[in-house]
Amino acid sequence: MDASVAMYVAQGIHGLAYGMVLFLVASGLTLIFGMMGVLNLAHASFFMLSAYFGYQMVAWTGSFWAALLVAPVITAVFGILLERFLLKKVHAFGHMGELILTVGVSLIVLDGVKAVWGTESLPLKMPPVLEGLVQIAGMQYPIYRLFIIAMALVLLGILSLVLFKTRLGMVVRAAVSDAEMVNALGINVPLVFMFVFGVGTWMAGVAGVAIAPILTVFPGLADQMGMDAFIVVVVGGFGSLGGAFLVSIIGGLISSYGVQFLSQYAAVLMFVFMAVALAIKPKGLFGERD
Amino acid sequence: MKTMRFLFMATAVLCSLGLVLQSASAADMVPKAAFDFKNFPDMSDFDPNKPMPLKGDTIKIAVVASHSGPAASVGEIYWISVLWAAHMVNKQGGIMVDGKKKMVEVLKADTQSKPDITKKVCERMILQEKVDFLWGTNGSHLQKVINQVADKYKKISVNAASLSDELQEVPDFSRYAFMTTFSTEQIGRGLAYYYGQIRKKEKKFYILCQDYLFGHSMAEGFKKGLKEYYPDAEIVGEDYHKLFLTDFAPYLTKIKASGAEVVYTGDWIPDAANLLKQARQMGIMLPFADIFMDEPRFLTEVGVEGTKGIINLAQYGNGNPAFKNDDQIKVYRAWNDLWKNKWKEPYNTVLYTHPFGNIGAYIGSTYWLLSVVTRAGSTDPEKIIKVWEGDTYQLPSGQILEMRACDHKQITPLTVNEFVPPAEQKQSFNIPPYYWFEGCSNVGPSTLLPMDKVVPKADPKLCK
Repeated sequence: MDASVAMYVAQGIHGLAYGMVLFLVASGLTLIFGMMGVLNLAHASFFMLSAYFGYQMVAWTGSFWAALLVAPVITAVFGILLERFLLKKVHAFGHMGELILTVGVSLIVLDGVKAVWGTESLPLKMPPVLEGLVQIAGMQYPIYRLFIIAMALVLLGILSLVLFKTRLGMVVRAAVSDAEMVNALGINVPLVFMFVFGVGTWMAGVAGVAIAPILTVFPGLADQMGMDAFIVVVVGGFGSLGGAFLVSIIGGLISSYGVQFLSQYAAVLMFVFMAVALAIKPKGLFGERD
Repeated sequence: MKTMRFLFMATAVLCSLGLVLQSASAADMVPKAAFDFKNFPDMSDFDPNKPMPLKGDTIKIAVVASHSGPAASVGEIYWISVLWAAHMVNKQGGIMVDGKKKMVEVLKADTQSKPDITKKVCERMILQEKVDFLWGTNGSHLQKVINQVADKYKKISVNAASLSDELQEVPDFSRYAFMTTFSTEQIGRGLAYYYGQIRKKEKKFYILCQDYLFGHSMAEGFKKGLKEYYPDAEIVGEDYHKLFLTDFAPYLTKIKASGAEVVYTGDWIPDAANLLKQARQMGIMLPFADIFMDEPRFLTEVGVEGTKGIINLAQYGNGNPAFKNDDQIKVYRAWNDLWKNKWKEPYNTVLYTHPFGNIGAYIGSTYWLLSVVTRAGSTDPEKIIKVWEGDTYQLPSGQILEMRACDHKQITPLTVNEFVPPAEQKQSFNIPPYYWFEGCSNVGPSTLLPMDKVVPKADPKLCK
């Protein structure tokens, strides 16, 4: 492959990989808001928390795979506890209460990780099998980034199947549409919402562990990813999984090709995209909620 | 023929004499004050988590830094550095000021990395806590606020960590502010001098810095330095990325395609760590020239091979070997033994293994400040200014610091270190275990840059 073509192809794959990580974080956020109407500003903190849990699991077991399996589950448990004991109580008072509460939770998580793990940047090593490079059309590419792309696609597939092809998914969608009616049919709606919240935080948890070997685990991790994920949810449309997926990919590609062609504006291109998209479709590209 | 031979011999003799005199002038410069090895006390009770309780009238230093939030680790580094120097002086019995022996008390002033909070906390420190000195900090925007508050209340501020030249230039200059760190323009010029006049190997450079004032100043310094010291060099690419970037892969792909032989970066951690880590994960083994890629924890993660060849410019150091006499080893051991056996989190982590690098520089700045107070015999800012302007002080490493009177910028030789595997680090770390860190490359060959080639930028409005 010609060197310049290889460079453009590589930038495309970088965009996909970053887009997939963005999707993993944003999908949980959009699920929670879209289906429950809960604005969870602590979502990125769960992403960070899971990275720390992952670090700890690797420190204890030496296994990245154990970390990838267990850390998101523990994170999801924290998410469920937050929903069950705190968010549920303030939900009736509207978004302001949720905003204040979830900002408070994010601060507690921040201080909590500092108290437990300190403020240093902590390493989380990728598994040896995913280290190194692979040849793609005459070009070398890191295996781990391809693994992230594949994992996100598998999760998207599973999530879509559950939501659109199972009875559970049908109940979730119905509860979102008319919670009172579903409740009247004898279905435990609060339990459904708790489940959705748990799945949302679990997705953020998977992203946290997945990205940790590329980044360092440190208390600013939530800030690094939180803003981009929020843009994805807003532009994709609150509650739209498909919208989140599409905008994540677009965001990833904007990020990598922006660096290639409009380097001096790379940092603001995502915001420009958001502004243009919202000017055309104020509810987001696939959004129905205000 | 005889005449020619005579002329050649005479020239050679004169050149040699010149070189001898030049090196003698740097090495034999007699400082006005020096670190006092003879009175170095027993430091075994020093614990940064449990500072010595002090009562009564004290000399107060506020460490103005991010002691909370994501950047709290920076505050921790400053804290142990200043506290160490203060503890040493206290164990020596304190300092005689205005006819009375006083201990040195160190207070935390948390900026939360926000300028408005910095202003409030500095004012509280001066008005309520009655501190004598404001000691700071990471971020020129925060240091600027510290200097402004110090200027308003006529207190001394010490800038030991913020690298922007502008802080000591018109219109920001304050006669109450002293800069005891190297500066952006000087760093860039120093590395350009090293590549152009000493190393003379690589010619193609790619500049990748953070997209704010600091990153741009670092790049400008390097470009200016290349013009001056390495006109044959080629800048094959120049990019500025946002702070706390998640994905460096697009930049690294561009760098790889550019044919660069060296990546010059001003990035600090976590960006510096992620940049190096992601480069190595992508199979890009290009050397980085920088000032912040020296944090042992992430270097260890990247490993020996991945960190080999890093060129790190440091403000603390006096060439190889690191330990030139038993006194230096004694002071070093006092720190290292406590790190090994006594200190708890976070000060027992690998970051605090050695009182060198930036920690060495911060401790050195505080030694110097306390030496100035001792010689001024007062905490009166006017008396401090009088002593500190034009002062020279010798650190435990032998390195001599000079305070330029006209703009209060520190002048000192800079060191360029090339990172090599542990087995080759003995040339630098010349005491057991003969390496700095086991799991990564670190300082091997160390080059002292001549002081006159890396003099910090001077504002002509201040320095005629």
